[in-house]
Amino acid sequence: MPKKEKILLKASIACAALFAIAPVSNAMHIMEGYLPARYCVAWEVICLPVLIAGVISLRKKVNENRRNLTLIAMSGAFIFVISSLKIPSVTGSCSHMTGTGLGAILFGPSAVSILGIIVLIFQAVLLAHGGLTTLGANTFSMAIAGPLAAFGIYRLCEKLKVNRKVGIFLAALLGDLFTYCVTSVQLALAYPSESGGVFASAVKFLGVFAPTQLPLAVIEGILTVVIVIGLETYARPELKSLGFLGREKEAK
Amino acid sequence: MIVIDRLCYQSGLRYVNASEKFAYAVLSLVFCLVSRSVWAPLLIFSVSGILTVGKGGIPLFRYIKLLLIPAGFILIGTAAVIVNLSEVPLDAFAVPVGGWFITGSRASVFRGIVLCFRALGAVSCLYFLSLNTTMTDILGVLEKLHLPPLFTELMMLIYRFIFLLLETASSIMISQESRLGGRNLRTGLRSFGQMAASLLILALKKSGKLYDAMESRCYDGRIRVLSRENPPKPKEILLIVLFEAAAAAAALFL
Repeated sequence: MPKKEKILLKASIACAALFAIAPVSNAMHIMEGYLPARYCVAWEVICLPVLIAGVISLRKKVNENRRNLTLIAMSGAFIFVISSLKIPSVTGSCSHMTGTGLGAILFGPSAVSILGIIVLIFQAVLLAHGGLTTLGANTFSMAIAGPLAAFGIYRLCEKLKVNRKVGIFLAALLGDLFTYCVTSVQLALAYPSESGGVFASAVKFLGVFAPTQLPLAVIEGILTVVIVIGLETYARPELKSLGFLGREKEAK
Repeated sequence: MIVIDRLCYQSGLRYVNASEKFAYAVLSLVFCLVSRSVWAPLLIFSVSGILTVGKGGIPLFRYIKLLLIPAGFILIGTAAVIVNLSEVPLDAFAVPVGGWFITGSRASVFRGIVLCFRALGAVSCLYFLSLNTTMTDILGVLEKLHLPPLFTELMMLIYRFIFLLLETASSIMISQESRLGGRNLRTGLRSFGQMAASLLILALKKSGKLYDAMESRCYDGRIRVLSRENPPKPKEILLIVLFEAAAAAAALFL
């Protein structure tokens, strides 16, 4: 075997070994230190207006009724816990929900932006998913773009009188896929390919993350439907206090 | 339940002034990111690692295992940066596939290597902060940075609720597991969904009771706790300044 091939073989064995021990975190967080400094700052600046609007809307809710503060905090903790628990018996790897679709449907996109950034900070510090420097980029994809898409699709399906379960499934599924596309574009913008620029690079990133992300998005959709159905069966008064069922009546 | 959170309470550096640790981690992160060579990240990675394992007393095996969490992302992401599909072979390597080449240039291989080191250096800074500083201390620093009080208050409440909910969730999951709730994919998904639904119901009920309890103790939007004062030490500040100067020099000139 020529020397070059030997090195290649060894490298591939090392990679495979790493994959075997490393708990691959499937959630679509860009890891700490993976974006160049100017992109980190840029994404943070883009997120800032949305976050300020989120704080103002939450403050209004809390001033209306102080009880809302613990309610909002519990919702945030709920999103964190749901997204940090392993889904049992889904292959051997650690797959997590993102909770973006569920959060957007239950709590509305403006609340989810603030809860999302707090959850992302905790995920970075406590679980080492994502990071502090990539917080801006991750907030944009997981706490702003994804939930907005999910919420938009959910309302659209309601307007079009699509079956509710199908609507919720589509909202969570497409919200997840949208998050994954946004993240790939974010990575591609930072690391454009030499033969084909940003677009080719985006296709590459979409390609390498697809094997884990596509099945996860479907699972996310199914789980979100199961959760919402469970809630509607057992917790009508609680859902009313979140404004979930109230909104629905308005829509009707 | 959360490994990092448990470890940081045992750390030997736990009672070092939190603002100092925060400043060290953030400044090192910045120099890691602006560096164009592998030297500054390498320096930061080794110093953070030595501080966390040597001074902080975090078990080395644990630390290595934690470093492997982002390994999957590094591998996949860097592969996407280095490998190209193109009609013309580039200079570092080229494997012909049909009429195309799976190929990469020397510049991109170099960029990929720097990227790996930068990411590892940055992760070591993050771990230095999270393995040696308790969350309540970090929240204290954030308060000093004048974030909106509603935001920090919300963070503090969420941090406390996380453990409450995790405990509930894990006991539900154990009882589901003992009743063959994870028998196959279908039941597994249903059990997980049911667990999540009942978790939210329990959480909302608890939040009502918690508010009652807090209000009966004169809660007015702020939980005031006496934080333990760990005054900054001039020697530590001097060392941090010296190290950051070295890191900055390595990042900008090497």
